[in-house]
Amino acid sequence: MSAFHGTKMNPSKFHKSQLKFFVFLIPLAVFMALPIVYVFFHAFKPIDELFAYPPRFFVEKPTWQNFADLFGRANASGVPMSRYLFNSIVITLIVVFLTIIISTMAGYALSKKEFKLKKTIFEINTLALMFVPAAVAIPRYLIIDELGLINNFLVHILPLLAMPIGLFLVKQFIDQIPNELIEAAKLDGASDIHIFTKIIIPLVKPAIATIAILSFQLVWNSVESSTLYVNDEGLKTFSFYMSTLTSQATGNVVAGQGMAAAASLIMFVPNLIIFIVLQSQVMNTMAHSGIK
Amino acid sequence: MKGLKTKNSLVGLLFVSPWIIGFAIFTAFPLLYSLFLSFQKVKITTSGIQTEFIRFENFQYAFVVDAIYTERLTKYLEEMIISVPIIIVFSLIIALLLNQRIKFRGMFRTIFFLPVIIASGPVMKELIDQGITTIPTIEKYAIYQALTESPDGFLNGILLYLIKNLIMILWFSGVQILIFIAALQKMDKQIYEAAKIDGASNWESFWKVTLPSLFPMIIVNTIYTIVMYSMFSLNPIIEHIQTNMFKVDTGFGYASALSWIYFLIIALALALSVGAMTLKGKKNYN
Repeated sequence: MSAFHGTKMNPSKFHKSQLKFFVFLIPLAVFMALPIVYVFFHAFKPIDELFAYPPRFFVEKPTWQNFADLFGRANASGVPMSRYLFNSIVITLIVVFLTIIISTMAGYALSKKEFKLKKTIFEINTLALMFVPAAVAIPRYLIIDELGLINNFLVHILPLLAMPIGLFLVKQFIDQIPNELIEAAKLDGASDIHIFTKIIIPLVKPAIATIAILSFQLVWNSVESSTLYVNDEGLKTFSFYMSTLTSQATGNVVAGQGMAAAASLIMFVPNLIIFIVLQSQVMNTMAHSGIK
Repeated sequence: MKGLKTKNSLVGLLFVSPWIIGFAIFTAFPLLYSLFLSFQKVKITTSGIQTEFIRFENFQYAFVVDAIYTERLTKYLEEMIISVPIIIVFSLIIALLLNQRIKFRGMFRTIFFLPVIIASGPVMKELIDQGITTIPTIEKYAIYQALTESPDGFLNGILLYLIKNLIMILWFSGVQILIFIAALQKMDKQIYEAAKIDGASNWESFWKVTLPSLFPMIIVNTIYTIVMYSMFSLNPIIEHIQTNMFKVDTGFGYASALSWIYFLIIALALALSVGAMTLKGKKNYN
């Protein structure tokens, strides 16, 4: 039943045999998409609709006021919002890129190389997955202080680079690459760097795309480093800025709601773009990778 | 030959070394330090951190005095036992459906993955505060009322929990769907053709071909689900640990002890479920 229309992602024609899938998929999809639609509508609601009870799903009088407030308020607090946004973008790009390189390299070595402690390293990594992140906050603070990284831009980047879940996923995928493929490349005289860049990376693209999405979320949404390790307002991130908008401490809970709704949308849109760009990678590479 | 072997392992170490360094400094050391702290009474003063060795008092306190912790812990275990299988089965079904050639497939994939993107971070908290992670006005439906009227039955409790948290549960499945799809894409189409020629129905070839070859990924997904479910930042146990961190009478030492207890429980849950699955898998498929 799935044989028609070759390898195209979306078959161009609707066929009766697809109907049974739609019966399941459409209700579930609608169900899952509702909250996302809500985020969009929420950002455009004027203040009376934001606080309407019971909360309304659709916006009746859409307005840009929330966004105007968001950009305007930032100027009053000394540091413009664009500064937070810029910090977040730079940090996110660097972390995502380096995380991918570091985890794929480690995954390759742990999966295809033989050396002592190989198993132990991977087991420690799996155990580290299970530890409450908040519990290491103070010891981590002490180390960062010791390294002199307090109030340093690097503090946003360095602690996030060795991502246990990334190594875990990528190693599982590299395990599935047959050893014969690597042996064959070696016989043809390929160096380790060559094998890594020309064989491993192309073949585990789906895993890389998954890590990219996960680490993107982790950095982009993280407030921890801004709250704990940085005092300089100009070095803090956008997600931190967003979390201050609704916080009780600043005392603008009511006025903050509209801005927070607009900020949620701004926080959310890059996630969406990243996923749409990467998801075609995830879906298509495996099909043509040549591994059987 | 020995020279080649040493060179090989050196290259291997070289490839892992950036990861090891990052991991040792920012994850491994803080972890061990928190183990040390869990046996101490920690006071944070202006001149630094003061610790006093109190042996197992923190752990004792957690089980004997702290009623909230034990209560939340049992509730968490109950919920996990219900949720994890549902998440795995649900994501497998969705992955199978999305692996078919249907119109708008890309769009569907995006929708099912999207929740993962917002499920972490400040956006999610706002959504929960707004109460839109539950089905709107569910209290008015007859089935819900029928269930709440007799809340003592075990099955009723499960159903009630499911209805209340359905959206949340579905939202945890994005990455799992993605992993399953990637694995499904790798499957050899010829096996299905061979099975078809041998007269296997779609149903049979799912049980005999698809499921066994997905088995390693099912284990990966189980681990991932349990970990994500436990580490979710709005998880009540994590909230409890965080509030205890800055309480005067309990403090960071106690919070460390709580996290280590929690950690051991998760590790145990993982070992049990993965162990059981591997045993069963070996019996069935090898």
